[in-house]
Amino acid sequence: MAQIALPASRRSTSTVSAKKWLGALPFFLFAILFLIWPSARLMIDAFLDGQGRFTLDNLAQLFQNQTIVSSYLLSIQISAVTAIGGGIFGFFLAYSVTIGGLPKPLRSMLITFSAVASNFAGVPLAFAFVATLGRTGFITAILKNIFGVNIYTAGFNLYSFLGLSLTYMYFQFPLMVLIMAPALDALKKEWREAAENLGATVFQYWWHVALPILMPSILGTMFLLFANSFGAYATAYALTGGSLPLITIQLRAQIQGDVLHNPSLGYAMAMGMIIVMAVSTIGYIWLQSRSERWLK
Amino acid sequence: MGYLTLSKISKQFADAVVVQDFNLSIEKGEFVSFLGPSGCGKTTTLRMVAGFEVPTSGQIILDGADITDKAPNQRNVGMIFQAYALFPNMTVVQNIGFGLRIRKEPEPAIKERVAEMLSLTHLEKHADKYPYQLSGGQQQRVALARALANHPQVLLLDEPLSALDAKIRVSLRSEIRMIQKKLGITAIFVTHDQEEALSISDRIVVMNEGREEQVGTPFEIYNFPKTAFVANFVGTLNTAEAEMVDPVKGIVKMDGVQFESANQVEGQKRGDRVSIAIRPERFSFASEQKKANVVDCKIENITFLGSVVRIQITIGRTKFNMDTFNNPFLELPKIGAVTQVTCSREAVLILDRQ
Amino acid sequence: MNLLSWLRKVPLWSGFWYTLGVLYFILPLYATLDFSLRIQRDVISLLAYQNAFADPGFLKTFVYSNILAVITILFSLLLIVPTSYWIRLRLPEARRIVEYVTTLAIVIPAIVMGFGLISVYGAPIKIPFTSIQLTDSLLNSPVGTNFIVIMGYTVLALPLMYRSVDTGMRTIDVRVLTEAAQSLGANWFTIIVRVILPNLRASILSGALLTFAIVVGEVTISSILNVPAFSPYLWLMGQHKAYEPAALSFASFLMIWASMGVIQIVTGGRAQASVAH
Repeated sequence: MAQIALPASRRSTSTVSAKKWLGALPFFLFAILFLIWPSARLMIDAFLDGQGRFTLDNLAQLFQNQTIVSSYLLSIQISAVTAIGGGIFGFFLAYSVTIGGLPKPLRSMLITFSAVASNFAGVPLAFAFVATLGRTGFITAILKNIFGVNIYTAGFNLYSFLGLSLTYMYFQFPLMVLIMAPALDALKKEWREAAENLGATVFQYWWHVALPILMPSILGTMFLLFANSFGAYATAYALTGGSLPLITIQLRAQIQGDVLHNPSLGYAMAMGMIIVMAVSTIGYIWLQSRSERWLK
Repeated sequence: MGYLTLSKISKQFADAVVVQDFNLSIEKGEFVSFLGPSGCGKTTTLRMVAGFEVPTSGQIILDGADITDKAPNQRNVGMIFQAYALFPNMTVVQNIGFGLRIRKEPEPAIKERVAEMLSLTHLEKHADKYPYQLSGGQQQRVALARALANHPQVLLLDEPLSALDAKIRVSLRSEIRMIQKKLGITAIFVTHDQEEALSISDRIVVMNEGREEQVGTPFEIYNFPKTAFVANFVGTLNTAEAEMVDPVKGIVKMDGVQFESANQVEGQKRGDRVSIAIRPERFSFASEQKKANVVDCKIENITFLGSVVRIQITIGRTKFNMDTFNNPFLELPKIGAVTQVTCSREAVLILDRQ
Repeated sequence: MNLLSWLRKVPLWSGFWYTLGVLYFILPLYATLDFSLRIQRDVISLLAYQNAFADPGFLKTFVYSNILAVITILFSLLLIVPTSYWIRLRLPEARRIVEYVTTLAIVIPAIVMGFGLISVYGAPIKIPFTSIQLTDSLLNSPVGTNFIVIMGYTVLALPLMYRSVDTGMRTIDVRVLTEAAQSLGANWFTIIVRVILPNLRASILSGALLTFAIVVGEVTISSILNVPAFSPYLWLMGQHKAYEPAALSFASFLMIWASMGVIQIVTGGRAQASVAH
């Protein structure tokens, strides 16, 4: 009996599970058509020359072409600087409204502001910074008229590495605040008390307990900030109009531009970007899951 | 003067008085429980001993030294938390050695002490695990080992068993008591569970609204509660309103039924309203003629609780609970039956009415 | 309480960082507002706003972006709500894969996405390995281009929309809710329309508003696919005007602020951020 019944029941469960997957079909179809296939297509194109023949030249160019190498480096530098800077600043801000002792209403104000600022990017952000730190910007004028400091003659330029970094910071540190505030909330009061009870000073508590517990979360979020600014295009484009050769700006110039026009090389650059983005996103996910295990 | 003395301790938060004029003296090696409902100030008192709260007034003296205003990290008391509070980023060994490392003890000494603690708490197998890999009971044993590793003068336990399953709670309870006896360490144990306090302590402090209601051995607390609060909080209890008939002989009348009590309350006179209390297990069916307190009753309901059978009876117009041991070979009376129950004169307590 | 003890209670370290943070937030906004009001010499006026709103290009691109935003929101919801519900209810084994896919949407930068879409849909679509042509290049017609842009926006909004909806599904425990409704005799239509959706209102609204903020502010895909969207228009305007772009920037800040404010209210403070700049 059992021998006869077995195949039948097996067949019925497999049709049931196939039907179950049908429910998720539209989603996967969408993902394949508009996310996976287009990106895979670019990656494939990166290995083809203008005539559609297989080549590794495009990839080799990524490492040989001095302008491309330096645009990668520039993007990596600006992403690293704003990730670390925004990360540290965001951490202290999140600290101030969680365990830092500031009153509750200040916290919800900061969280709302952070949600706004982390979504306030692109063209309006660039214009806002021109109005603030541009040649005739608000702060530039205050510094000149009240403090007698002309930052532009002192070497500052909004359309430079430093200027763009300050602009990126506007959406970088709020993202850190949004992710770190819950992590800081998860620090248990008892850990601090247990440490004190065992003789630790406040500094020792932070050094041996709190910071190690938060570290995966801090580093993970910095990876996310890195990816966030590495893939950014609109803000830099709107602010500098392409004068700062970030990888995203060079990429567009290669594919759509009039002067530089080598789409295949552009596709190889896109592949390189995806790899950098993937590495930092995986770093974020891995560290975040580690921290969740601890903070559960 | 005891090893640890709390004298006239009060604590006020904003506008709420949490602990009021609390006095207690604990001998070295004694195991004392603070028992009371939530909000009675027991945890706050414990936290003042640990240094996490500073008393509004009063003095705490430990081994002859005034520690009232000392910072928590300047005192040598070990604390166990309800939520374990193990450091999640450290292994069991690192957790246990934390306090020693903070004190900058030499590495071999730390190693030796940690190994000693691991074997004391039977955690050798879990030495290199992280807290998230351990069960609740194991985590609390690590917390115990961590607190003891520093050779604390007093061990403070803040509801350490509340987060655990019933079975583990009982076994860990006896393990804590065994370790405490073995080391001869002074311990304060905070709990809201009367069974826990009764089973583990040398002495119990029953607390209510920031004051000590009664201090005594588990035997005294259970059998001779001094106040209605203690009587009600510790164990189940039948209480009823009655009228004093003869203060000298201890005779009271409830719903027209007379009870004799062995316990006399000073300052009562005939006709005063009093409360009487009788524990359910002190009742028994009046099979033979006894001298005192044989009363008529009606069986209202019977509930089977395992080792005990709880019978609801009405005496006069008042409902009482009566517990008898479960004996499968003895027939229980039928619901609705009218019979007689009895209890000894000692079982009838006359309580202070505050 | 005297001044000294009050000072001691104020957390100076926290106060310092908070003040710095607030300045960083406020100053660029204040500067933009200030600048936008000074189009006339020595007079504070709203002229820049009047000019900006009166520009026919503004109305055209703003309406266009809003229509695209609404369609993107509807399409995203139609795609994600049933998928997330089905996964929570019947197909938990697919959750990992769906999460990987949404993560992939973060990994692929918008600009790469845009060129990927062009390279696939910019050419005639053929049946694989044959020369039989199904359609002409989708990007040759306005309808096809808009369709591709909407798909691109949906991908950009995917991580946030999915997270919003899925968190909502988790907090209301759709499985238990569905089973309870079924045991009371409700049919599928009733369950979804009367039980599940009303309970998801907050997360759907916050997902929708985030998507709205992304779409209206989006530059990358709109400009490489060359559609008349609001943000590329704003950028173009910035090339030859000064005060009007500042006015529109400040206005779009207010719009984002309003959407986030609504999200804060409906979700009780669980704020989110888009990761698509």
